[in-house]
Amino acid sequence: MQLLPPPTKPSPFSRNHLIRDSIGWALHAAMTEDASIHLFGEGCQVKVHYDHPEIERDFSSRCHTMPIAEDGIVNFAVGAALMGVKPVVDLISSDFLYRAMDSICNTAAKANFAKPDAPITLVIRAEFLTGGPTTGQRNEALFTHIPGLNVVVPSTPRDAYGLMLTALNTPEVTLFLEDREIEDDGYFMSEDLEVGATVPLGKGLVRDMGPRGGVAVLTYGVMRQRVEEAVRAARYPARDRFDWDSVDCTIIDLRTLYPLDWDLLRKAVDRTGALLVVEPDVQYGGVGAEIAAWAGEQRIPARRLGAPKITVPAAQAMRQSFMPSRESIIAAIRDMHNA
Amino acid sequence: MPLSATCTTLSLRRQMVLLRVLQERLQALCDIGECTADLHLGTGQEAIPVGVCAALGPQDLVLTHHRMIGWALCKGVPLDVLVKELLHGAAGEMHFRAPEYGFMHSFQIVGTVVPVAAGVAWAMKHHRKTGGIVVAVCGDAATANGQFHEGLNIAAVQQLPLMVVCENNHVAGNVQEQHYLPSHWVYPRAQSYGIHATWVDGNNVEQVREAAEKAVKRVRSENRPFLLECDTHRLGKHKQGMGDLRSSAEMAILKQQDPLRDITDEERTEAMRMVDAALQ
Repeated sequence: MQLLPPPTKPSPFSRNHLIRDSIGWALHAAMTEDASIHLFGEGCQVKVHYDHPEIERDFSSRCHTMPIAEDGIVNFAVGAALMGVKPVVDLISSDFLYRAMDSICNTAAKANFAKPDAPITLVIRAEFLTGGPTTGQRNEALFTHIPGLNVVVPSTPRDAYGLMLTALNTPEVTLFLEDREIEDDGYFMSEDLEVGATVPLGKGLVRDMGPRGGVAVLTYGVMRQRVEEAVRAARYPARDRFDWDSVDCTIIDLRTLYPLDWDLLRKAVDRTGALLVVEPDVQYGGVGAEIAAWAGEQRIPARRLGAPKITVPAAQAMRQSFMPSRESIIAAIRDMHNA
Repeated sequence: MPLSATCTTLSLRRQMVLLRVLQERLQALCDIGECTADLHLGTGQEAIPVGVCAALGPQDLVLTHHRMIGWALCKGVPLDVLVKELLHGAAGEMHFRAPEYGFMHSFQIVGTVVPVAAGVAWAMKHHRKTGGIVVAVCGDAATANGQFHEGLNIAAVQQLPLMVVCENNHVAGNVQEQHYLPSHWVYPRAQSYGIHATWVDGNNVEQVREAAEKAVKRVRSENRPFLLECDTHRLGKHKQGMGDLRSSAEMAILKQQDPLRDITDEERTEAMRMVDAALQ
């Protein structure tokens, strides 16, 4: 097993250094194998300089800085993809996706329907930032509604690496969303990156198997980390105490929001009999709503925890209370378990 | 003999007649309910696709807006393949991809064609490298849309082999020009991006071909974008099934400029024969 070197260059950004770094290695590996992969984006060369020095070193001629014109960039990338190029478009912020709504949903998502025997490969990257009302909106659920798009939100460097490799080898349009709220020092963040280890699209992962099944907690992105922390803190109430039974749940990282891993969900609820969705996005009309509706049809008890339908606040302290808290997660699991 | 071969090897005049007769026939099929597709016919604008495509080579690629029938046919899509897609296709007229004939994509959303074609031109210059140029076809109304400008800006910044052909028919659906185009002409908009641009009478097929040949030569040799504005008039409705708000007096004036106002019976019969064969 060949391992990638640990990150050497500190990012100018404080968080999510490890996931961004792993994406850089994935892009580098894919670009080494496949000369048709090109990077396009606003300030592409600047971003590569800071985030992916290995790409700047080896493939600077395949990094293309574009004007600040999100819609135009994605349309442009679709044009290049029609010619057999595999573009990776970096739109930087999830909020900028709204600027490119037309090109993503009308142009990119329809291209393979128009000509299934000559499909395009296109990856669109964006990050959930932490700056407030129009700098870090959660909009992943919105895109799961559009036919023709894959939506991935990796929560660990290993998944980010493997999913990027897969997306670049899949003749489809993939929206690759990065969660800057994820802390670098959490669980599963310092796993070794194995060279070439892909992660399939549409496959979730059981992160933690509860003692007797308990409640299936379905989560992704930054909430995967928060659920993990909450459950472990509850199981280790003190340094020398371990209470395995205090929270009985199985934690599942969805990883890909579309296509969703229904097989894994079915298996999980067969074992647990109940499910809780913990999502960082606005709960109203979200991924959790889709899963809960499915659960309702199967008469499986289901609950959701997500963000309220209000604008993301700028101040960090306010933002922390915006998403489900550790306490509310534990309370919901125990409540469902006792029900 | 495949119909594509007959179409692109016909004289320019006969290609135009074929286009006119095909579109009249499609409109008639719509009128009697045998065609339910949302067709946007280019009746009156035939000289532009015929003239421009005559200046293109097989390595050159075309992308268009929704009014695409003439462009697909003149680029070499076989008549029967096109008619089948128009009448029964899943992608339909406005999302048509036929790269095997050099027709890369049509788009329903106004303005989209310009940045996508810029991307195709980028890949032509840096990836495929066959020396071809890329033609993006838009209307005058598209120049009010941001995508037209974002696409031109990128093409100018990156020096791409892109020829934008603007079919200026002075009307956006049923909306008159004063509501969307302050300049009456489109070519100054391209010039403001440092893109060479010229104007031509889009109802005169020989002039269109001549202007297109010059433009194509320039785009190919300089690897820089160019905008060719073709002045024309749409003589039919914006789309089948939709009304037309222009007065009969106005239409009578426009019809006097129709390049096909003198189709002979023989020409019509010949074109009908081809259309009938394709519809079977």
